[in-house]
Amino acid sequence: MAVIVKKVELTWVDRTYVIPVLQGMAITMKHFLKQIFTRSRDRFTVQYPDWKREVGPGYRGLHELKRFEDGSIKCVACFMCAEACPARCITIEADAYGDLNKSQGFDEKRPAVFKIDMLRCIYCGMCEEACPKDAIWLRGDYEQASYDRLSMQFGKWDLMNTYADKDGKARITQDPTPSVPRNPTSL
Amino acid sequence: MEFLARLLHLQPQTFWMIAKVIIVFAGPLTLAAILTWVERRGSAMIQDRIGPNRALLFGRWRLLGLPQLAADGIKFFLKEDLVTTDANKLLFWLAPFMAFVPAMMGFAVIPFGRALVSGGQTYHMSLLEPGNGMGMLYPLAIGSVAVYGILTAAWSSNNKWSILGGMRASAQMVSYELAMSLAVVAIFLRTGGYDPHEIINHQAVIWNVVPQFFGFLVFFVCMFAETNRLPFDFAEGESEIVAGFHTEYGSMKFALLQLSEYVHIVTAAALIVTLYFGGWQVPFVAAPSVSLSIAAFVLKLVFFCWVFIWIRWTVPRFRFDQLMFMGWKVMLPLSLGNLMVQAFLMYRRG
Repeated sequence: MAVIVKKVELTWVDRTYVIPVLQGMAITMKHFLKQIFTRSRDRFTVQYPDWKREVGPGYRGLHELKRFEDGSIKCVACFMCAEACPARCITIEADAYGDLNKSQGFDEKRPAVFKIDMLRCIYCGMCEEACPKDAIWLRGDYEQASYDRLSMQFGKWDLMNTYADKDGKARITQDPTPSVPRNPTSL
Repeated sequence: MEFLARLLHLQPQTFWMIAKVIIVFAGPLTLAAILTWVERRGSAMIQDRIGPNRALLFGRWRLLGLPQLAADGIKFFLKEDLVTTDANKLLFWLAPFMAFVPAMMGFAVIPFGRALVSGGQTYHMSLLEPGNGMGMLYPLAIGSVAVYGILTAAWSSNNKWSILGGMRASAQMVSYELAMSLAVVAIFLRTGGYDPHEIINHQAVIWNVVPQFFGFLVFFVCMFAETNRLPFDFAEGESEIVAGFHTEYGSMKFALLQLSEYVHIVTAAALIVTLYFGGWQVPFVAAPSVSLSIAAFVLKLVFFCWVFIWIRWTVPRFRFDQLMFMGWKVMLPLSLGNLMVQAFLMYRRG
C-alpha cells in the first residue's frame, strides 16, 4: 500500500465528502462557463497554426546579423560570439583585407562564412552579449523546423535576410560597397 | 402510428416493436458517441483549454470539433488490429462484445416516455412492456454482468497491467453492488412494486430523490463505480497501470470497450432518472403530453450524462481500498439504514 506522507485532519463535513465534492464541482463549472463565455481569441490557449504568439521584446529566438544603413554587415569576424557560444554552434571564417578594406569604410575584417547550426543552438543569447559591434542579436522568430539537418545550418545571408521583409529592408546576397567611408576619422 | 405501420405493411404492434428496438439501440449509441465528444470538449473547457477542433468537415466546417467523431471512427476502422502473441485469442476477441452487449441491454427496461394511446391501442415507450416480471431487477442484474467483459479483457490479453486492472475491477464490484441493490430495494418498498412504469407513476407527486435522499446518494456513488468512471475507475488507472484492462487493445476493439463505458453512462443516467428523478414526469405538469414527457426524459438523461463527465473532471481517483472501505463501512450501513427507516415508515403507515 501507499506510504502515507502527510495526514490531513478532516472535519466531519469533509468526511462526508458530499459538500467538498459539490464545492469542487462549483469550481469546475465556473471554469467551464467562463470558457464558454470567453471569445476564443481571449482564451488562455493560443491556437497555434492559426494565431501566433506575440513574444516579448527580450525573447531569444532566431538570430539576426545586423547591417548598416547601406546594407553592409556590421560583423567584423572577431570570433567573440563563437568563443562565447556554449553549444559551439557558430562557425566563422574571416575574410581579412579583401578588396574591400578599411579605406573603403569597412573595419579590418568581415566574415566570409558565418554559419549557425540551429540544431545545436540553445538560444542562450551569449553571442549577443559577447558581440562588441552589436552585430548579432536574437529576435522573436520561434518557428524553426525543417525536414533535414542541412537546412538548419543558417548561413550569413540567411541570417542577414531573416527579418529583412519584416523590417522593410531589401533582401541582399552581396555586401554592397559603401559609397562613403564609414568612419573617416579613423583613417 | 397506424399510417406508418400501413406504409410498411406491418401490424401496428409489430411496427412499434421494431421502432422501439431501433430507438433503444441507436439512441444510447448515438448519445454515447456524442458523449465522447462532450467529454473531450467539456474537459477541455473545465481545464481552460480548447479541446478538439482541428478536424474539419470537407476541409471547411469546424463545427466545434464535432467532425472529430467521424475522424475517430475512420481511424478506429483503418488502424491495424494487433493481437498480442500470448493472448487468449478467442476471449481477446470476445471481451469487447462481452463488455458492450450488457451495456446496451440495460436500457431495454427504461421507459423513455409516457405511454401513447392511439386507435384504441396503448404503445408503451419501453422495449420491455410493463408487467414483464423483471422490472428494475433486470438492469441491476445486467449491470453486474458487465464486469465480466472487463475481467475477460483483462485476463485474455495476458498483460500484467491488465490483470491488475481486472483485479481492481473485481475488488470494486464486490464493494458497491450490495449497497446499490439495497438502495434500490428501498425504492421498491416505497413504490410497492419493482416495475419501472409503476416507479415512475408513483413519483407523480414527489420525486424519489426527496424522501430517499440517502438512498439516492448511495445509488449515485455506486453508479460511478458501475460505469467505471473517474472517482472509481480503478480498472483503467492510466497513471498507475498504463491503461488497465484495455492496455493491449487497439483499433475497433478498443473503441467498443470505450464506447461500452459511454453507453454505461447513458444507462446509468437513465436508471438514476427513472428511480429518483421521476423518469418522464414533468414537474408541475400533472399529465404531460407524450412528446413533452419524452423531451423531459431526454433532458434529464442528458443532464445526468453531463454530471458524470462533470464529476470525472472534478474529483480525483480514489484508491481501491478506499472504495472498499467506503462500500462496506459507509455506503452499506447507510443504504441498510435507509431501507430500515423506509420499512419502519411503511409499518407505521400501516
